[in-house]
Amino acid sequence: MVMTDGVHGAALGPVEMLVLNVILISFSFFLLCRPTQSAKREILVLTSITTAAAASRILLEPFPNVQPLTVMCLVMGASLGARRGMAFAVMATMLSNIVLSHGLWTFFQATGWAAIAFAGSKLNLLLESKVDMKRLIYSAVTASVIFDWWVSLSVLSTLTTVTDFGIYLLNGLPFDAIHAIASIASAVWIAPYLANLLHVETAALEESIPTGEADVITA
Amino acid sequence: MKWTFVVFCLLSCLLVPQSSAEAGNQDGWEIDLKNGYISTKPIFVDDQVIVRTSGDDRPHVYSFDVQTGVENWRFSNPNSTNNDMSPLLHIKSGQGECGNWSELILVAWTDGRVTALDPDDGSLVWSAKTEVITWGITGAMAQDGETIVVPTRQGLSRFCLSDGSQNLRVDLPQLGWRNGITVTENSYLLGNEEGVLNIVSKDGNVTNISLGNGMVRHPPIVTPSGIISHLQTSSGSSIYLDDVLISDEGKSPAIPIKVGEEIFFGTSDSISVWKCENECVLQGRSEFYTNGEITVQETENGSMLWFPRNTQQGGWGYGIPGNEITTFSSNHDTYTTAGMAFGPNGAMAFGNDAGVLQVIFEEEIQVTGGLDNKSGNEGSPFQVQPAHFLIVALLLGLANSIYKSNRDLTNKLAVLLILVVAILALPWVSEVWSKEVDKLSEGPGDWDDNWPDEWEGTQIVVFELPDGEIIIGELSGHDYVEQLTDAAALEAGITVEKQSYSIGTMIVSFDGHELEGWEFTIDGERTPVGISQAEVSEDSVVRWSAA
Repeated sequence: MVMTDGVHGAALGPVEMLVLNVILISFSFFLLCRPTQSAKREILVLTSITTAAAASRILLEPFPNVQPLTVMCLVMGASLGARRGMAFAVMATMLSNIVLSHGLWTFFQATGWAAIAFAGSKLNLLLESKVDMKRLIYSAVTASVIFDWWVSLSVLSTLTTVTDFGIYLLNGLPFDAIHAIASIASAVWIAPYLANLLHVETAALEESIPTGEADVITA
Repeated sequence: MKWTFVVFCLLSCLLVPQSSAEAGNQDGWEIDLKNGYISTKPIFVDDQVIVRTSGDDRPHVYSFDVQTGVENWRFSNPNSTNNDMSPLLHIKSGQGECGNWSELILVAWTDGRVTALDPDDGSLVWSAKTEVITWGITGAMAQDGETIVVPTRQGLSRFCLSDGSQNLRVDLPQLGWRNGITVTENSYLLGNEEGVLNIVSKDGNVTNISLGNGMVRHPPIVTPSGIISHLQTSSGSSIYLDDVLISDEGKSPAIPIKVGEEIFFGTSDSISVWKCENECVLQGRSEFYTNGEITVQETENGSMLWFPRNTQQGGWGYGIPGNEITTFSSNHDTYTTAGMAFGPNGAMAFGNDAGVLQVIFEEEIQVTGGLDNKSGNEGSPFQVQPAHFLIVALLLGLANSIYKSNRDLTNKLAVLLILVVAILALPWVSEVWSKEVDKLSEGPGDWDDNWPDEWEGTQIVVFELPDGEIIIGELSGHDYVEQLTDAAALEAGITVEKQSYSIGTMIVSFDGHELEGWEFTIDGERTPVGISQAEVSEDSVVRWSAA
């Protein structure tokens, strides 16, 4: 059942798991509590896309290291900003790992994808709803490889030397390549639609909502 | 409303059931046994699948319902000295001069015990004890009418199936390891660690054939041409017909199997099939890395051979040597010596060093090219898989989009095509790449030029004891540090005290020297795993020193 057992490093005990969950959930809460413009619709949009991202990880789990979440984090960061993007990354990771298996690697995955979302918010990947595809592909490929190496740090406790870790990274290069190619595929297939969807939804949120006296005056 | 519906659908996706030992999964189930390796193949008994684990301090025999994966019973032997590799044996009920016996599951252990279990509830029916010299029983037992014949550490014992009473005991001068028994009409055959094939008559008289320097670690195979033994040597292995060498083969031979008139062999280099009538003739050979139990699947198309792949990539290869060998992968592939087991209604049970028992009801494995129609498959090793249709569809789509000058769709399909091809090629690329990387990770070595030349290429153990260094060389055939250390200590007359912990077995003292603890290196390097899991090659130097 635990597909990743022995691949990403040591599993955690109940107390360590509790601490990790509290840290990640607190981090997401902290990111989402500002700015306070949130409406029910925004929550629903964020929840839907987070759930979709988690579901995609689970459904694509049989394919080794095919991770559309990497590109989704870049686009979410670019569309919704660093805070929402990073919260999305952490929540999608935690949600999917409930099924895929939870352990120390969740911390590295969550922080890795959060960092990608943060990078997405700074890389000018979108112009309005239009994706700068060339820039997105370069970013996605780079992010995929760096993400894999970052997550590999979770096995450090089980390896004895830095050389062992280097060998471990070298062994994983074919899998890094798959992640990079899958990210290119995600960029061309998913990113334009996701960016457009987010643009439409966020534009709707930014429209002024008439309330109180204004309604009366208009009427 | 639209978004609420989307969220509902996505949450439903999250609840897609994964393969597990939960009831109701039509495709199969799996369960992590969490205590050591599965080194021998599971067995199907009626509606149960029974499997044994070994490698830590809690070796167990488990029974699960084939359909649901619900555990029926478990039996543990905390006195086992590990690693328990004697295959489970199912005995049907019967009667004889010894008395009547009901259906039994016979389990042999490294503490020398033979336990007869009731398959219904796992209760102990009877138990018998044999000698322990570091290990007890590690080879395959064999039924001989109303008795069970057991290859013990230094001999052979025969017990009545009705009550476990011993009715034959033969002491032999050589130690045995995984040296299964073969029952013939008049005698029992078993090899040992000194390359001797013993022929024990049923009243206990012993004759033998000396094959050479090496170990016989399988039940000898009787053919019309003579007795086949696959001798493991320090440089590789050799196949003997009686005392005549018929072929030099690769390292670490698998347990050969006879199917009809054909005999299947395996080593770290290749698998081969030989036909033995008046003489033994090679029929076919394919490259494959196998060291464990070769098993046979009977299908409508004939017999199909399955070979556990004992590499980090793991899995099982199936096919006939000389033809394309197809690899069957599982969700938990790693080093594998346990054979694939086949049950009723397409059920297959398997496990490996990951210790996860997996049962599937596999209709998708279209077994073709079995022994009976081998010739029909020789010209076409290529087998069409669903992914090939996907590639063809993508190519057609790509051609169409190029024809229509739809650049956007062309890019999308091209990337998807590259991804599909990359995923399909990944197992092969990963294996080749891993081998190349392994070459970089070779240790610094621990060879001392003062050692005799004959020791080169053999297994060597160095004990750095407080009263001087003791070095034992020219050892061979040991797969793990624990085995190798025990063998060297036995030869050097060093007493080894061990202790089992939840994390594995550890050395407490050598010759009573506890010091601050003991640690080992293999070829000058430490390993992240313990002595029962740390693997050694045929030219490894294991060095024990005070921590």
